[in-house]
Amino acid sequence: MDLDKLLEIGDRCINEEPPACTAHCPVHLDVKSFVEEIEKGDFKKAYKIMEKRIPFPRIIGMLCDNPCENVCVRNNKGGAIGISELEKAAVYYGYSKPKKLRPLPPSKKTIAVIGSGLRGMTAAYDLNKKGYKIDIYEKNSRLGGRLWNYINETLTKEIINEEFDFVNSNNINLYLNTNVDIKTVEEIAGKYTAVLLSSSDLVNQYKCDNLTFQAGDSNIFSAFTEGNNNSIIFAASAGRRAAISIDRYLQNVSMTASRENEGSYETVLKYKDDEEEEKKRVEKKSHIYSREEAVEEANRCFKCQCRDCINPCVHLKRFNIAPKSYIRNINHNERIIQGSHYANKMINSCTECGLCNEMCDYGVNMKEVIEKTRESMVLRGKMPQSAHDFALKDMKFSNSERFLTYKKEVNKDKVKYVFYPGCQLPASDPEYIERIYTYLTDNINEGVGLMLGCCGAPADWGGQQSLMKESADLIKNAWEELGNPIFILACFSCGSNFEKYMKEIEYISLWEIIDKNPLPETLSGKDLTLNIHDPCTSRHNDKAQESVRNILSRLNCQVRELKFSKDKTKCCGYGGLVYFANREQSEDFINDRINESPEDLLVYCTMCKDLFISHNKRTFHMLDLLFSDNLEEASMRKMPSLSDRQHNRMMVKKDLLKNIWGEDVEMDNDEKLNITLTQEVKEKMEELYILLSDINKAVMNSIETKERFFNPKDSSYLTRLRIENVTYWVKYEIIDEKITVLNVYSHRMEVVEGGNENIQ
Amino acid sequence: MYTAIEWKLWRVEMKIYSDDMKTPWMCDKCQEELIMEKTNVLYIDANFEVELMKCPVCKMVYIDEDLARGKMLEVEKALEDK
Repeated sequence: MDLDKLLEIGDRCINEEPPACTAHCPVHLDVKSFVEEIEKGDFKKAYKIMEKRIPFPRIIGMLCDNPCENVCVRNNKGGAIGISELEKAAVYYGYSKPKKLRPLPPSKKTIAVIGSGLRGMTAAYDLNKKGYKIDIYEKNSRLGGRLWNYINETLTKEIINEEFDFVNSNNINLYLNTNVDIKTVEEIAGKYTAVLLSSSDLVNQYKCDNLTFQAGDSNIFSAFTEGNNNSIIFAASAGRRAAISIDRYLQNVSMTASRENEGSYETVLKYKDDEEEEKKRVEKKSHIYSREEAVEEANRCFKCQCRDCINPCVHLKRFNIAPKSYIRNINHNERIIQGSHYANKMINSCTECGLCNEMCDYGVNMKEVIEKTRESMVLRGKMPQSAHDFALKDMKFSNSERFLTYKKEVNKDKVKYVFYPGCQLPASDPEYIERIYTYLTDNINEGVGLMLGCCGAPADWGGQQSLMKESADLIKNAWEELGNPIFILACFSCGSNFEKYMKEIEYISLWEIIDKNPLPETLSGKDLTLNIHDPCTSRHNDKAQESVRNILSRLNCQVRELKFSKDKTKCCGYGGLVYFANREQSEDFINDRINESPEDLLVYCTMCKDLFISHNKRTFHMLDLLFSDNLEEASMRKMPSLSDRQHNRMMVKKDLLKNIWGEDVEMDNDEKLNITLTQEVKEKMEELYILLSDINKAVMNSIETKERFFNPKDSSYLTRLRIENVTYWVKYEIIDEKITVLNVYSHRMEVVEGGNENIQ
Repeated sequence: MYTAIEWKLWRVEMKIYSDDMKTPWMCDKCQEELIMEKTNVLYIDANFEVELMKCPVCKMVYIDEDLARGKMLEVEKALEDK
């Protein structure tokens, strides 16, 4: 896996980009976190967040001109958030004395700061923290310049003096009542390692660089930027940036590297407020917000962040993660040699539905990332065996002689089409296959063959590229033998796989065929009101989506479109084999989708139907409307058990070959033993992916070999049999030659019985 | 492929499990009561030696449901993520 390419995709995600307020704030206060703390009522934490970014927060918090409010996204929906008032409230209710930091080892270098307004004081404060000695020259008799003009009930003299208390440090010398003019600047510059000019009269005499604040390559720096010279917060920011330059100059490191986002800038985040409701700004009833008013105002904040892909995706929500961080986790998972691969479960919980890509303005496609990641895990032997084991075995079953077959239409040498129903439709609704096939041959004169099998979707989802190739080769061979017909597909997972791995094979959806032909005479689903759930694998097949809607219109059904439909449709929870790898995650998907739909659902993918009905949502498959005997029963019919699904596939093959081609096929059947299962056992078989055939084999083996335990208390037996990579345990009793299975369980670990040659 | 701590935990828990064992099962083929004996269990690249109940004659090992679906499953999952 190309990890550099992977990280590049992650870099495109803008989830961690700041909101407009923070980007526009020249000192980059983390407004979102600040407001979130106020919303929680934690004014102390909110103050601490201010303290991290804002110098002298009790002064600036009270005086800030808040350019952030001009760019607030709330402006169009009831007025900008009162960040200014919230800062005042945080200072008023949340101030606590700053922690005394351990001073850095003092530097021998001394810096002259000329002028003690907010610019000079900010620079002096920052440089002093870095251990430099500072000499402050001030023409007046006190520090602070124009700040004293703003004294009021919330910004008192005492507060200003306390905030400037750092000047009493041994490393700072004050030269009050000392005027420095242009002549003396040069003199001072000769005496100090660096000089900062924070008085506008002096700065005008020097041409300083806009980024580095440096006058030529001298040791003289300015604390002014172009424009915004009347802004309190821009003044503080300029002082801070000049201090960064002086520090870099004294450390002899690059003056320009990584300074792109210093000062105010425009964020790439464009928060989408279309669905946000208008809410008026909270007016303060006194000179400052009450705590309650502040909390209410904070509540109006959108907390702008790009969550375009996260909000509609229950997978990203469950793991509370954005692609940027997700990709960092994958990168770590791919690189570690020792230790746990903690991201495995997350990687196997994505349905690979591709909705994230549809929602993203920057082309971050997690579907592709997850596909590549799973392929890499398989190649490196790091894919957890249990995640996809059953689905892959089920696929193997479908591509074995028990289901796989292909035939030309009876009495036709050439067929233009071949009907390929996939593996899940025959498993869930076996009775429809013959009806559909007959409908197709009745309506199409150019010949319609039949192919049964699995397209390889489980292998594709599980990252098993070699198994996928085997499946695709099976289909390609059949296609060639049948004379290169067009495949008629009833499943869009098949469609996706045909597009990805069998480009040479032309295909069309069953719905487009039905759309162009008379409706079947068996149709029963008319005049219904339905929400359409498009399968996620049909996302880019607008022709098929249109055909489905056309058929519904011909059936006089009223269609109510869901918010997430067509190219923005959601997954039902089966995609990506999440149903097997993380059942709880799969259930999130099911619930999310069925709760979106007030009406009965209309689907045209078998697994979507089975999953929605498993959560008691009335759901019709398009085929129910066209081919069902009992529409009501079909809309609530539970998914057959795993064993029955395989049995149904076998019967579809057997019945079709018999009824259409007049061929008799012998099938293994698991009914050789007279076995009864308790309800509890049936449920456990589904939960633990145990098939009736596994139980049969274990019981038969135990009867033949006597390899079993016996409980004399209740005369029951317990046996075990290892089949491939799983050991199955079956507890049973035999009464009057009738076997009743009382319990089943399994494990993957191998137990060595006696020598290594006897593993169970 | 597995840490010493995981191995020890497995040993300790298996010991507790073994001490609590009072199984009603006996070997049907050999008609013997089960005994506790050191047994190797394998998964992926790991190989643990633990005490398990087995038939003293044919060595058929008994794993009960709590062990299979409890500690064994936990160790399987941990090893799968290694």
